[in-house]
Amino acid sequence: MRTFGRHLWLGLAAAPIVGFFALPFVYLVAVSLKSKDDVLNGHFWPTTPTLANWPAAFEAANVLGFIVNSTLVSLLAGLLTIALSLPSAYAVLRLKIGGKWLSDVTLSSYMAPPIVALIPLFFLLKTTGLLDTRAGLVLIYGFANVPVAFWLLTPFLRRMPIEIEQAAAMDGAGPLRTLIEIVAPIIAPGIVATFIIVTVLSYNEFLFASAFTFSDATRTLPVGISLFQGDRLVNFGQMAAASLAGIAPVYLIALFMQRYLISGLAHGGVK
Amino acid sequence: MTTFAFATDGRGAARVSVQESLLPARLARLIWIAPVLVALVVTTVYPTLFLLALAFSKSTLGKPFRGLVGVRHFAAALQDPIFLSAIGRSVAYALSTSLIQLAFGFLIALIFTSLLKAGRFLMSLVLLPLMTPPVMVGIAWKLIFAPAGGLINGTLLNAGVISEPISFLGHPTLAWLAIGVADLWQWTPFIVILCFAALSTIPEGVQEAALVDGANGWQRFWHITLPLVAAPLSSIYLLKLILSFKLFDLVYILTFGGPGFATTSAGFSIYRRAIEQFDVGRAAAETMIYAIVIGLATLPVVRLHQRLERRDT
Repeated sequence: MRTFGRHLWLGLAAAPIVGFFALPFVYLVAVSLKSKDDVLNGHFWPTTPTLANWPAAFEAANVLGFIVNSTLVSLLAGLLTIALSLPSAYAVLRLKIGGKWLSDVTLSSYMAPPIVALIPLFFLLKTTGLLDTRAGLVLIYGFANVPVAFWLLTPFLRRMPIEIEQAAAMDGAGPLRTLIEIVAPIIAPGIVATFIIVTVLSYNEFLFASAFTFSDATRTLPVGISLFQGDRLVNFGQMAAASLAGIAPVYLIALFMQRYLISGLAHGGVK
Repeated sequence: MTTFAFATDGRGAARVSVQESLLPARLARLIWIAPVLVALVVTTVYPTLFLLALAFSKSTLGKPFRGLVGVRHFAAALQDPIFLSAIGRSVAYALSTSLIQLAFGFLIALIFTSLLKAGRFLMSLVLLPLMTPPVMVGIAWKLIFAPAGGLINGTLLNAGVISEPISFLGHPTLAWLAIGVADLWQWTPFIVILCFAALSTIPEGVQEAALVDGANGWQRFWHITLPLVAAPLSSIYLLKLILSFKLFDLVYILTFGGPGFATTSAGFSIYRRAIEQFDVGRAAAETMIYAIVIGLATLPVVRLHQRLERRDT
């Protein structure tokens, strides 16, 4: 009985916490179903629910185009980040190339706020003709997330039994083949988790995207949505609908991949 | 091929000596880390050198590097009360909100750990704020705090608690509070996951032994749990601190730095100077000053973290 009582208490403590974390999301859904007058009467739920905001939001701005841009840019940047960081993380940890200084420098480079790189990268993209292109964003995100991927991948690599690699080496497999054919499949959950996290980071990024893109053809979702609150329209219902449409892809990934995500974040964070 | 040698990490296994004299072999080794080196050059080395050059020259967004101006930009930035107070606010915000979020996140992780299976389910729910684009987090909380049609004002008005709507985002202190709440909502889940992982590393036997010795819940927490997770907690605080210094998106969406300059963070102030006023020379100097301040502000936490790590080993 004592454990039951204890669980009841803990459950009662957990309820408001879950409520707090669910509130903004539930309220977005409620507002997206409200007409303009309904928004102003101040009730939580719509009195006469309407779906009109959804098509209206997609018409008012190129929301679908923004989603396509964001998805394309973040997936390609995620692949680039993994391709850049997996061999290097492996080399530092197992082949003892680069050594501790490299991982230290890589990690500490993440400490500086992104505003530091904003102006220099602006000129870099301008010089290379990649300003206001999706390719430019892919390159920037792909490079910028390398420290994060490095940090997340290392614990997975570290926990892999070295004997497997040694056996592969004895069978005559070179280090590259060992990495691709032996190591990568074994730490696949870690690679997947890392890929999802860096992809979501790119999908959500706002500062660089807002400074490096300025046409509807290249704008990513956060930039597109941020314009909603400018002069275009101040319709809360449409703003909520557009926001939800943009969040949906990330939440779907989060729900289906939560097992990988939690383990990826948890292993990366605590040595 | 003995060029590549596998070595176990920390176990001190024999490391096959590398034939340093073979140039091709050394180059082959360098190729492995070349991707990260390129990434570091593009995202860190080049921006730092470029900023340094900008900070000492007359530059606009259209035409950079039009003659040297010495330390004029630095002098101007250090005499600008708006910029200095923006830096002060950023530091105060980062140090305080990170601590509050660490305490809140650790508490939630403790509850979730005790709930076992149900806790793991709740964890996946709590993951969602972390995945939400910050811009959308800002918009959701803006709808909640809005004066006309906002959730809080609507509820309070309908309940008769207030007769006039409160302008949360138009009041200097309340606006910071709104940013803090949105930040807490988004980032506490991250801390919960990391604390959850830290707590799960505590061996079960330790708690049981204390239970046998008659320690009560509070004693077990204070003398056993907390010391065991102190080192990971300090690294989580450091991580959140670094993330908090990057505050930009929430300010942009919720308040745009206002009312006046009340919620202008250092990052937002630099952004406006560079992208809106095109004064990149001055913005570069301000960025360097901010980077130095961040380094100084995080130094005590880095020291604390190192001390706790040493104590554990």
